[in-house]
Amino acid sequence: MRRAQRSWIRWLVILGASGMAPEALADTANFELSGKIYTKWLYKNDDTRGCLSLSNPFWQDNIGGGNGVCSEFQLDIKGRVSKYVVTGVRVKSRFGALWQDWWENGDIRWDFPNDTKFWENTSGESLGQNHAAYMKLRGAYIRAALPIPTVRWVHFGASDFGMFNEWTIGKSRYIDRDNGNGVFFEGDIGDGLLKYHTAAVALPKLYVGPRWNTGLKDADPLAGFWGADWAYAAKLSSSPTSDLNVALVGVYINDWEADKNDPDKLGDTDNADHAIDLEPRFQAVNSTLEAQYSPSALEWLSINGLFAMAYNRVNHDYATNAVANDQGFSPIVYLLDADGNPKGATGAAGTLRVELYDPLEIGLSAKFEYFNIGQHFNAIFGARRESDVLLTDGFLATGFISGGQLPTLNLANEFVDFDEPWFESIIGWHGGTGVLEYVWGGLKANAEYSFITYNTNMQGRDVDNQYPDFLYTDGFTDVQAFTADKDYANIYDRGRDARSVYAEYKDRRSHIAVLNGDYLLPFGTNFVVKTKLKWIHDTDKRNNVVDGSEAPYCLRESFTTGEEVRRADCDDYKGDLYLAFLGASYQLTDELKAGLGYEFQYWDEINRSGNQDAGFRDYKTKKHTARLTTSYNFGGLTFSYLLEYLHKDQDRDAELPGTFDQHWRVWRSKATVEAGW
Amino acid sequence: MKANILSSTVLLAILSVAGCKSGGAAEGGAAADDGSVSLLDPAGDDNGPGTYVYPTDQVYKKGAFDLRSLEVVPVGNDIEFRVKVEGRIEDPWDSKAWGGNGFSVQMAFIHIDMDHAPGSGVQVGLTGTNVRFAPEEAWDKVVIISPQGPTRVNSEVDQKAADYKANVIVPKITRASGKTLIAVVGKEQLGSMPAKGWGYQVLMQSNEGFPTKTDLLTRKVNEFEGQHRFGGGTDFDNDPQVIDILMPPAKGTAAEADAQHAALSKYNKESTGTIEDGTIKPEDWAVVPMVYPGQ
Repeated sequence: MRRAQRSWIRWLVILGASGMAPEALADTANFELSGKIYTKWLYKNDDTRGCLSLSNPFWQDNIGGGNGVCSEFQLDIKGRVSKYVVTGVRVKSRFGALWQDWWENGDIRWDFPNDTKFWENTSGESLGQNHAAYMKLRGAYIRAALPIPTVRWVHFGASDFGMFNEWTIGKSRYIDRDNGNGVFFEGDIGDGLLKYHTAAVALPKLYVGPRWNTGLKDADPLAGFWGADWAYAAKLSSSPTSDLNVALVGVYINDWEADKNDPDKLGDTDNADHAIDLEPRFQAVNSTLEAQYSPSALEWLSINGLFAMAYNRVNHDYATNAVANDQGFSPIVYLLDADGNPKGATGAAGTLRVELYDPLEIGLSAKFEYFNIGQHFNAIFGARRESDVLLTDGFLATGFISGGQLPTLNLANEFVDFDEPWFESIIGWHGGTGVLEYVWGGLKANAEYSFITYNTNMQGRDVDNQYPDFLYTDGFTDVQAFTADKDYANIYDRGRDARSVYAEYKDRRSHIAVLNGDYLLPFGTNFVVKTKLKWIHDTDKRNNVVDGSEAPYCLRESFTTGEEVRRADCDDYKGDLYLAFLGASYQLTDELKAGLGYEFQYWDEINRSGNQDAGFRDYKTKKHTARLTTSYNFGGLTFSYLLEYLHKDQDRDAELPGTFDQHWRVWRSKATVEAGW
Repeated sequence: MKANILSSTVLLAILSVAGCKSGGAAEGGAAADDGSVSLLDPAGDDNGPGTYVYPTDQVYKKGAFDLRSLEVVPVGNDIEFRVKVEGRIEDPWDSKAWGGNGFSVQMAFIHIDMDHAPGSGVQVGLTGTNVRFAPEEAWDKVVIISPQGPTRVNSEVDQKAADYKANVIVPKITRASGKTLIAVVGKEQLGSMPAKGWGYQVLMQSNEGFPTKTDLLTRKVNEFEGQHRFGGGTDFDNDPQVIDILMPPAKGTAAEADAQHAALSKYNKESTGTIEDGTIKPEDWAVVPMVYPGQ
């Protein structure tokens, strides 16, 4: 009886509930789903395996390699909870599983009884999660228009930090765009007169700090606590007149560690208070004041000025000195005062750009820029790539590969394919750029001249303990010679590290001249010819100290007295880079486009690589690069193909021991197909 | 002396070229004999019906979608369409890396009425704009100025505007210089060189690389702005998804801004839903006018 009663009650409850409840249909109108499948073929005439031309150069990920096919899938979900609340989620598969990787499930197998990893075995399930194509939550956010005075939006969760700038908190690179999280407020005061953004951003445990981390115990034995590390940022922007825009951005970064002398950490039960004090391991402040003036009376004129400050302080008690211990690979300066005590590094930077947009109405525009970046400026959380703060073409850009300049030692030129842009650090750059641009009808042409000297010029700089030099400070950087394997050691002599701005002896100045042109031919279908000419003249007097003991190679016999005298220019660097590029693209059908290009580079470098003790070697480098490209779009499918041949001869001065010439005969290709829905 | 002669010659050459190239239609006036046109739009009206605000990401800089002028310039057998905006045109997404045209966020649709006759042409604005034209001002050709490469634009047209693909012109080349977007269109694409009596309308939009099925590379306008969405409209397909347009007589006066706000506000606010599910119909959309220079 009691069981029957319970049953009746249960049915009544269910019926009642179903009568009262709203319809249980999903509100699909406010539930946006989108997906994308992306597949990449990478092939090269070597035996590296993987779908990424250049992965982590330090810990070589097993996804890096030049031969393989990989697919990834992503699912984006956007929800509209109410008119005041929206949400978003991105779920994406791990990239790196080759089409050949059948049965990979992320289960690294272990040897029994030795308990060691079977890195490669016959099970097919041996390469770890990198090859398991697992779905991962890449980002999730809730965005709410809360009824708080002046607040327009509160954003909780994933963000690409696109609201700040390259000098403070930079927009995350494309592959990291969902990795960052924080709490963000945005709003305005005075009916839009003053807009504001505030943010508390969870510091990534990798990259924003000494040794590219904020305290990983295995990477840095002095520290291992990252759960309370945050950056706090604010941006104020205003347009006091219709002609003037002003923005002020500031960020404070703090990496905490547990106080290693705290009694609770030491197990000192007598003095323990069941609370652990914290000590900062790394602190940084970055700020910018930027103004743009575009007078409505002179609509062809625009003036943009930016002033930036940076402060970096490393607590040497908690951070291993990477300059001393990692061969100078460090995104941070470990500055010491005259007594050898640690001190913070403070730097300033400024840019001023004036642009004249076709003032004569003949298609001729002009741009001028002055830049001055202090030797101790460093935007540690700034943009790492995919952005560009200067007008100049810079050192790295070629006809095929674009480049950019960023004010940080924390650049990211890894996890890229061979056809992707490169970025260089501008810390210490002081100079100016002028660009003339002519556009009319089918012709667009521009000419650039830049002169750069360096605030980092110095004699006897301490690159052993204070200033990172990334080990490779000499010569033009060959962005095409980076490889997926053994890259950290620079065994292929690819030239200066793009992050290297400090050297023990430096007295450098550079000239860059560039001519670009593209022209729509009056026949054929969208037949466009492009050309680029570039010349860089780079000199570095290096060691100007005449006194002191001389390296043997610096000494020669005097023609007059017969005594040994020092060659004044024995270590001086002089490099000339000549580049010529010609390319053409043609629209074969509405959906199919093809292109062909050729580039020649000749580098003539005197005293390029070496050191003051062992001597420097002269280099002559010739590079021929040819590319074929096609792109095809149809019905939502996008296909692209690129085939490249690199023919490089590096003639190294054979007078000194240990030198030999190097040659590259590299074929490589990249094809992609993608569809989104 | 030699230097003086040289500089005078250079100056003369520049002025001669300037004289040649700036000749043509008076600003905001009637079309010139060669069909060249110069139309103006006031500053500060890049807010659609008066309520729209830019997305919050810093790439959408002030004035980026503030249309200031349209110039139509015949050059030989080609026609150059020049759309000028208030802000400097930048390329924050490195368009060259994805086969683009040297800019990233802007996009403009130039609708052209070649006959000013009822019953001829297309009344609805290009897919994703959510506006329409009066029957006697229906457009015959539309020039798409997009940062996307031509194969991508053509593919989008195939999918989303197939019914009037013959009316859509993807320029031979598209560029950005300073504050101006430039599209070079062949005479054979347009059908003839520009003529007096033609009407023009520029619908200023933003390039969306990952558009929905009903957006031809257009960025959505929602009720509230997002990182990459305009705000100030509705979350449905009834509101005009255009940020700035020309208004007759296109002389760039403040009254034209008011007229734009009034015109773009006249959409059916009661109708909610999407064009895809059929709850929104073109009749719900605001009517935008053509500008006939000199009329």
